[in-house]
Amino acid sequence: MSMKTIYVPKDSASRSVGSDEVATAIRESAEKAGIPVNIVRNGSRGMLWLEPLVEVVTEKGRFGYGPVALEDVDDLVAAGLFEGGDHRLSLGHVDEIPWLAGQTRYTFGLVGAIDPLSAEDYEAHGGLSGLHKAVEMKPEEIVEVIKQSGLRGRGGAGFPTGVKWSTVLETPADDIKYVCANADEGDSGTFVDRMLMEGNPFAVIEGMIIAGIATGATEGLIYVRSEYPDAIATMRTAIEVSYGRGWLGSSVLGTDHKFNLSIRVGAGSYICGEETAMLESLEGHRGIVRSKPPLPAHAGLFGKPTVINNILTLASVPRIIQDGPEIYQSLGVGRSRGTQVFQIGGNVARGGIVELPFGVTLHTLVNEYGGGTRSGLPIRAVQVGGPLGAYLPTTAFDVPLDYESFAEIDAMVGHGGIVVFDESVDMARQARFAMEFCAEESCGKCTPCRVGAVRGVEVINRIIADDQRIANLKLLDELCDLMTSGSLCAMGSLTPMPVRSALTHFEVDFHRSPESGIAGTGEVLSL
Amino acid sequence: MTLLKEHDLGTSASNSDVMVNVEIDGIDISVAAGTSVMRAAAMCGIDVPKLCATDRLNAFGSCRLCLVEIQGVTGTPASCTTPVTEGMRISTQTPRLEKLRRGVMELYISDHPLDCLTCAANGDCELQDMAGAVGLREVRYGYQGDNHFDQPIDESNPYFRFEPSKCIVCSRCVRACEEIQGTFALTITGRGFASKVSTGGKNFFDSECVSCGACVQVCPTATLEEKSVVSLGVPQRTVITTCAYCGVGCSFKAELRGDEVVRMVPYKDGGANEGHSCVKGRFAWGYATHKDRVLNPMIREAITDPWREVSWDEAIAYAANSLKEIQKRHGIASIGAITSSRCTDEEVFTVQKMVRTAFGNNNTDTCARVCHSPTGYGLSQAFGTSAGTQDFRSIDQADVILLIGANPTDAHPVFASRLKRRIRGGAKLIVADPRRIELVRTPHVTAAHHLQLRPGTNVALMNAIAHVVVTEGLVDEAFIKERCESDSFTTWAQFVARPENSPEALASTIGVPPEEVRSAARLYATAPNSTIYYGLGVTEHSQGSTMVMALANLAMATGNLGREGVGINPLRGQNNVQGSSDMGSFPHEFPGYRHVSDNTVRSIFEKEWGRVLDSEPGLRIPNMFDAAIDGHFKGLFVHGEDIAQSDPNTKHVKAALASLELLIVQDLFINETAKFAHVFFPGTSFLEKDGTFINAERRINRVRPAMRPRNGKHEWQIVCELATAMGYTMHYDNSSQILDEIARTTPTFSGVSFDLLDKVGSVQWPCNEKAPLGTPVMHIGTFVRGKGHFSETPFVPTPERTNRRFPLILTTGRVLSQYNVGAQTRRTENLRWRKEDVLDIHPFDAEERGIFEGSLVTVASRVGETNLHAHVTDHVPQGVVYTTFHFPGDAANMVTTEFSDWATNCPEYKVTAVEVTLRNADAKITKQPAINGEIAVHENSATAESVVRMANQLADVFSYLGEKEGALKVATHIRKFWSPAMRDELQQRVVAKDSSLAPLVVAAASESILV
Amino acid sequence: MNGTAEEPAMYDENRVRTLAAEGVRLGGSLLEVLHMVQNDLGYLDERVVPIIADMLNLSKAEVQGVISFYRDYREKPPAATVVKLCRAEACQAVGAERLVAYASKRLGIAIGESSADGQIGLEQVFCLGNCALGPSGMIGDRLIGRLDEAKLDSHLDPLLRSGG
Repeated sequence: MSMKTIYVPKDSASRSVGSDEVATAIRESAEKAGIPVNIVRNGSRGMLWLEPLVEVVTEKGRFGYGPVALEDVDDLVAAGLFEGGDHRLSLGHVDEIPWLAGQTRYTFGLVGAIDPLSAEDYEAHGGLSGLHKAVEMKPEEIVEVIKQSGLRGRGGAGFPTGVKWSTVLETPADDIKYVCANADEGDSGTFVDRMLMEGNPFAVIEGMIIAGIATGATEGLIYVRSEYPDAIATMRTAIEVSYGRGWLGSSVLGTDHKFNLSIRVGAGSYICGEETAMLESLEGHRGIVRSKPPLPAHAGLFGKPTVINNILTLASVPRIIQDGPEIYQSLGVGRSRGTQVFQIGGNVARGGIVELPFGVTLHTLVNEYGGGTRSGLPIRAVQVGGPLGAYLPTTAFDVPLDYESFAEIDAMVGHGGIVVFDESVDMARQARFAMEFCAEESCGKCTPCRVGAVRGVEVINRIIADDQRIANLKLLDELCDLMTSGSLCAMGSLTPMPVRSALTHFEVDFHRSPESGIAGTGEVLSL
Repeated sequence: MTLLKEHDLGTSASNSDVMVNVEIDGIDISVAAGTSVMRAAAMCGIDVPKLCATDRLNAFGSCRLCLVEIQGVTGTPASCTTPVTEGMRISTQTPRLEKLRRGVMELYISDHPLDCLTCAANGDCELQDMAGAVGLREVRYGYQGDNHFDQPIDESNPYFRFEPSKCIVCSRCVRACEEIQGTFALTITGRGFASKVSTGGKNFFDSECVSCGACVQVCPTATLEEKSVVSLGVPQRTVITTCAYCGVGCSFKAELRGDEVVRMVPYKDGGANEGHSCVKGRFAWGYATHKDRVLNPMIREAITDPWREVSWDEAIAYAANSLKEIQKRHGIASIGAITSSRCTDEEVFTVQKMVRTAFGNNNTDTCARVCHSPTGYGLSQAFGTSAGTQDFRSIDQADVILLIGANPTDAHPVFASRLKRRIRGGAKLIVADPRRIELVRTPHVTAAHHLQLRPGTNVALMNAIAHVVVTEGLVDEAFIKERCESDSFTTWAQFVARPENSPEALASTIGVPPEEVRSAARLYATAPNSTIYYGLGVTEHSQGSTMVMALANLAMATGNLGREGVGINPLRGQNNVQGSSDMGSFPHEFPGYRHVSDNTVRSIFEKEWGRVLDSEPGLRIPNMFDAAIDGHFKGLFVHGEDIAQSDPNTKHVKAALASLELLIVQDLFINETAKFAHVFFPGTSFLEKDGTFINAERRINRVRPAMRPRNGKHEWQIVCELATAMGYTMHYDNSSQILDEIARTTPTFSGVSFDLLDKVGSVQWPCNEKAPLGTPVMHIGTFVRGKGHFSETPFVPTPERTNRRFPLILTTGRVLSQYNVGAQTRRTENLRWRKEDVLDIHPFDAEERGIFEGSLVTVASRVGETNLHAHVTDHVPQGVVYTTFHFPGDAANMVTTEFSDWATNCPEYKVTAVEVTLRNADAKITKQPAINGEIAVHENSATAESVVRMANQLADVFSYLGEKEGALKVATHIRKFWSPAMRDELQQRVVAKDSSLAPLVVAAASESILV
Repeated sequence: MNGTAEEPAMYDENRVRTLAAEGVRLGGSLLEVLHMVQNDLGYLDERVVPIIADMLNLSKAEVQGVISFYRDYREKPPAATVVKLCRAEACQAVGAERLVAYASKRLGIAIGESSADGQIGLEQVFCLGNCALGPSGMIGDRLIGRLDEAKLDSHLDPLLRSGG
């Protein structure tokens, strides 16, 4: 009997709902049945509501089943799992599942499709061709391609990547330049970086090497948050493999290019996702935000010129180099070019990864892809762009998702995370939580953030308690002004965004009688 | 002066030469590129509100009070962290900014105790000032929210307290500890609202804090506050003066209420310290009003009699008559004086003038004899001037720093901070020291090389380094061709290139692996700018002068002289070692290092002083002791120095003192020397003095009186009155006139006056027509002597050898909290850090002897012994033990010997063969060994013994030249430095065919110049 | 994690030095060294501070400052099993607060506390990157998605029984 290839994701989201157990059960079941199987632990396709999603390779392609619970395995095997047999969990051809087929998987194309740690698999699927091309290019040419593509930093700020690279390229260094990948993906509702690192680590590595060649940097560091142990382990192995294959090291692909890469693990601090705090942390210090100037591109890690890019940004690079800038450039709207990898989470029926060109609407993402709330109750709000992003009502569902259009409605695309809330949400408490979160995660350097966030919680508490509500609403408004204009970094200056959007769009929640409030945070736990 | 508040421009100056034009609130200004908006505004007279910014520290951008609006820039950037750019148009006051600033202050005050009226900093608080400046009128958040009001106060430091409830978390203290002091003893712990300043441990006293006071100084609130301000109140007036501790010469603001000093605050415009300080200068000034201080003159017939307080007139008359009486009976040369390196130039000048006029001889010497005399000798041989070549600031341009025989973090802390900052900035450090001193490895500083040589082998090490430089082609030929004598260079180069001077050949002598020596030599020789800093570990050896010459050779050979970032720099021990040396304290030299036999020079002084002056050298300090023991020297005036504690071989010193008929001591306290005195003149503390100190960088700093002399007279007045009473009329209306006399008679000082110093702050000599504002860096273009001179530097080991009886080498030094003989620091709370001298001993040596941490041990050398508690540490290498000499009860100098530098008699404190034994516990009661004035037994006279030893040592040093030239060198040296009586003594030994005399000495004696 | 309240991992200076030296050798910064030592000892005993400071040539204050900044570093031995519940928005949207309240009540301890016997600790975390499958939590080293009271109980029950 020929060897059967089964894909069971090792993505940590899949593992969190039992994929390890499912994989084991399938192996045991196959053994029992005397069927030789090769179980590949792939990344997730991003259809997280279907996890664990088991794929079997058949003559007709990869057939999917999901979500597979441990107790379904015997039944599945009996139904002919290894031959792609029919079952109530059958999803048919995975590539043809509409949820997936409708997407523009530019950056996420290989995630879930390949064995994340198989270099052969990566190369067989076109991986590394960007790097092969890049080693033959002049740094200026690479930078130019990136500029042309319109790629902007996916970490949230949306700064043009090519411009950043050319600054580093033009900054003279006496000895060393760095590429730092920011994998401190702390925003609630975002998990794209994690899925990339777990599902296609070589793309991250390839992107970093290309960034190095483009800017003259020879040392790379990936700063991963400690909450991502699987991503850390996968990246570490992938780096080892890459050294072994001569992709990394003193002679990249046998050329004169040199690039070293290692992993640094965070230690539980949201603010270290802010690029200058990340540099401090990488240097072994308290994760305190630095003032700019100097820009990290001029004086970054250890004072050296440093490229700092988000994981998703870097993972987009290899294909842009491989394809040339035109394809990427042709996607998107306005100044927001290419695709964004949206992450739909929270109270959503079909959560996961949706990669589409900029310009898509929340309606498409939340209602069509997401299928509405998981609870079945009507949607009240979505928060876009992480804990510092705006809470939007469904009336904003037709605004195209791009940097500029969202800025116009006092919101932001951020890192592309979309968190859905149903009508049970109390938006005054969500506003308070924004302040609580800021107080919890503030580095403590600047006054508006350090003291302001704590006062913000107190003021909202008084508003909720109807204690001089009108005066405190005015004070809250002024505090938001102060934090926005006065804070040193985005943490303090963006915390007012969720607060203000809650006030703007859900004002009624701030005017309830105290008794009608829902027992939320604060009462149970004091931070 | 009323209280001087220094204008803080918020951020430090930019070094750029490029100028940029900006408009601030409608004012056009042109400033250096890189200047912050805040500083540019301050330069226009616009002080943007700020709390975390200060021009002493790097911009931080945390308080967010200093936000401004810039045309074309979105948002409100912080003016402290935003540099100006060409054409920038800035508004510092707009309704929006005012609202933001009030908002920030409102947040601050919502977590700040409202006790301004009872706060120690009331009226001297930046938070208070800023609340006023931004017009804060209400705190709408109330005071019921989360806060830090209940944080406990930390009173553990003796000098300042930490009250965290008042902290605004601006991190200025943390940054000052890092950026200015370089200790990193402070941090912020926690994060967010829980962020708080912390030492990371229990409290300040038990932390890594060295109590420099930088944190207290930069604190904008009462969070870190001097206890003296808490108890006495905010000061009202300022007197700018100079610290009286080490040779760094820090400028301070003495801040007073009435005539009571409240605190000493380092002065930002101080040339040497630029606003920094150490625990001694900043805090340990309380000795000035200590109850032990003697304020009335006293006399007694015999040292066994009790002291009798008398009037100044009686004391001076008694002293003058006794001195004259002695001279009548024992001759003109039977009296002399020792000047103090702790006193002002003006005071020192009057003492040596008194000796040369009223005493009629040249028996004047200074305590520089026992510390830096080889520096004067060695550097003048090479360059023609007896001083360091650079200003401290120059180190900022250095790429490699060779630190040898110095321990700046303890002995010159403010300079150490500067050095550490430069190392953190990228310069490489080479430490040559037998001990693993702090700078070998301390947070954020790691020496590139630690050449852990055996004590006493400095010259061998330098010869090995020079060997590498010469044989590996690392010599700066262009420099030598242009600036140095080619003959002496060639001779020297041939000498060091000899195989016996290679690092390999000398490895067993030096005790350092040859490859380490080679690599350090290459590092020094190949850097763009290499500089040398050294201390008493260089000078206090029997080859001290040779070593200084060897350092000069190395600097010349590698072209490291005559510009910023290079040079050779002695770190002077006491505050005015440089000045007291400059002022003609030496028995062979007038002020300005001019030999007494020089007729032209002598005539200048004879004309000025109206007396015929002696043209023969007088006695050096050790010669005085010998002559006293021999009965030829009977009267001594000791000015502000405690020779009985500080000078080597205490038994010998005390025997000499006990032999005197008259000992006059002028000091603040009854010190060890005063126990042998017949007349005690109470002196003045630096807070009462009016004059100048000269620091290690030749900087002439003003010392201004914060209060009237508590003893009723200035010290120079006392000296003048004594001279006058002896028959030589000496009078000045004020000390300014003394400096004018110095300027009149001494070319290197001809441009100096109180007026100039008051105007420009300080100047570095030479200060004259050619350099009216002084000379920060010397020897630019040419050396003072013309061409640089290379001297051969054969290594002649000290006769002090370890043996079976005394197998260990004792070396001595200082600790941070104490100073010299401790007379000042022992009378302050600095005792909390160190209350006795301890003996550092390596674990192996300790184990062999059954010694544990804290064991009481006896340290014995062939001349004496003392008892100390042991500190077992690997900071000393095996075979070497170390102690300090701060405490008279611990009597470290009981053990040190009579050996001294061949050229200058600087004692060999750094090498004494000793044995250390465990002392049983009941001996603790008699910790101090009995010391009395017993007369040592000498086979011949004490002078004869010394003369033979010194002459033989000279013969050893010059023997490499062969008999003829060697004898000439020995004779020339003796003629120049020895008193006639000593030369006679030597002649007598030669005539008596003393078999202990070296043949070269006998040959020298026949040289005509000797007689 | 091998330390419990009753049995903290053996503190051994040489071991700390070896670990720190390895961290330094690997070119790691203070964070890596602290991770390595904590992974081994279970927590950062105050005695490790001067050793690590010495090894990295930092001041003790700096090391303490860093330890106190990051949530991961513990200065006390942790509970045998730590339950971390995500309290970030995506999990809030599917009942995280209710779950936290439940866990707190079930275990009889508040966030940040450990049970008296040192067996179970309850902590909060902000985002585990599992936002489509919330509420999420970690029990020991294991990430668990779609948590609810029943699922939480199924994990807590054996721990509570064994800890009894």
